[in-house]
Amino acid sequence: MTRGQRLTIGCVASLLMAGAIPVRAHHSFAMFDHTRTITVKGEVTKFQWTNPHALLELDVPGPAGNKHYTLELTSINMMQRLGWRSDYIKAGDKVKAVIAPLVNGEAGGLLLEITLPDGRKLEPGVPAAGTFKRTPEAE
Amino acid sequence: MRVVLSLSLAAGCFAAVQLVASAQGVRPAAVPDITGSWERYGGFFGAPTEARRNDPTIPPRPPQPPLKPEYLKEWQARVQAAREADAKGTPLATNYTNCLPDGMPTMMGAMFPLEILQSRGQITIIEEAFTQVRRILLDQPQKRIDDVEPGFYGRSVGRWDGDALVVDTIGVKESVRFQNTSHSREMRIAERMHLVAPDILWNEITITDPVTLEKPWTVVYAYRRMPNYTLLEYVCEDNREFADQGFQKSTLGTGSGTGKK
Repeated sequence: MTRGQRLTIGCVASLLMAGAIPVRAHHSFAMFDHTRTITVKGEVTKFQWTNPHALLELDVPGPAGNKHYTLELTSINMMQRLGWRSDYIKAGDKVKAVIAPLVNGEAGGLLLEITLPDGRKLEPGVPAAGTFKRTPEAE
Repeated sequence: MRVVLSLSLAAGCFAAVQLVASAQGVRPAAVPDITGSWERYGGFFGAPTEARRNDPTIPPRPPQPPLKPEYLKEWQARVQAAREADAKGTPLATNYTNCLPDGMPTMMGAMFPLEILQSRGQITIIEEAFTQVRRILLDQPQKRIDDVEPGFYGRSVGRWDGDALVVDTIGVKESVRFQNTSHSREMRIAERMHLVAPDILWNEITITDPVTLEKPWTVVYAYRRMPNYTLLEYVCEDNREFADQGFQKSTLGTGSGTGKK
């Protein structure tokens, strides 16, 4: 990531916080649990740059082997306006993801925040992200 | 300070664009310059704040659709079903589930930015999401409703009434719903677009339908200029939320790799 790209993300994050960028949703987010989040650490198997949503496939190691998560992000148009680019995440990257899990209990959810291998944190600009109650990360 | 700066910038851009467009002769000098990118302004998430209520460039919240009793009942049932499905975490399928565009007049809600292009004899409006395009033919007669093949955007003709662009649209197919309401083949959409400030455009949309509506239904949207924004491409390529017996069920988490159903 170039310095310019980092700056873009910083600027856009500030604009978002100031409410300067209106965001709307293409669909209901009711399939995602608004009452809690889970934080997982794993390896990216695929980062799909598509509309209506970008998708992140993640293998998360656990006692019973890898558990595969499929995570929905926002529209890539929204993400581009926030400064994201398609090469920010690559297969093989070790990342930490904060997720609003699927209500139906399947291993998937809505990505609220990701920490990249170099420590940078990115958000995909989920509309009304504040309505998802964050659960503190377990130590 | 930020407001003053933004207004100054917008006024400067406005003047510059006006000169260029006039020089190209694509519109009479007396007609407002609305060419460029626009984003929806005012009226998004949450309850309106005091500041919003006092801002004269933010239009009032849209009223409930004045549907005739039988259609009102059907609409309320549809809204209630959506609410209940949301509460269960299984939202109902929508046109987006099938990668279908909004059509008219929903696209004018500008969920994503709009681009307006003024050219000789035509105004073209593009909505970024789903790359929706509508053409407004200027100073041409409208056809009879029966002579227009129904589609997502219908047939639009327009003219300048002073500094307002007045548009008439017919021929929107019945499966294309605005705010989840039903409409008939007889539906007619009247729009009046005018600048309420150098960089704020209002679109007063009035829907009439002798079959489904008790009276005309007016919704006003405001847009703000985006002087430095170029619309991005948008192709709905791989939606992994699919409609299952009328309900939207997510395939996320199956680990299948493609998630296609």
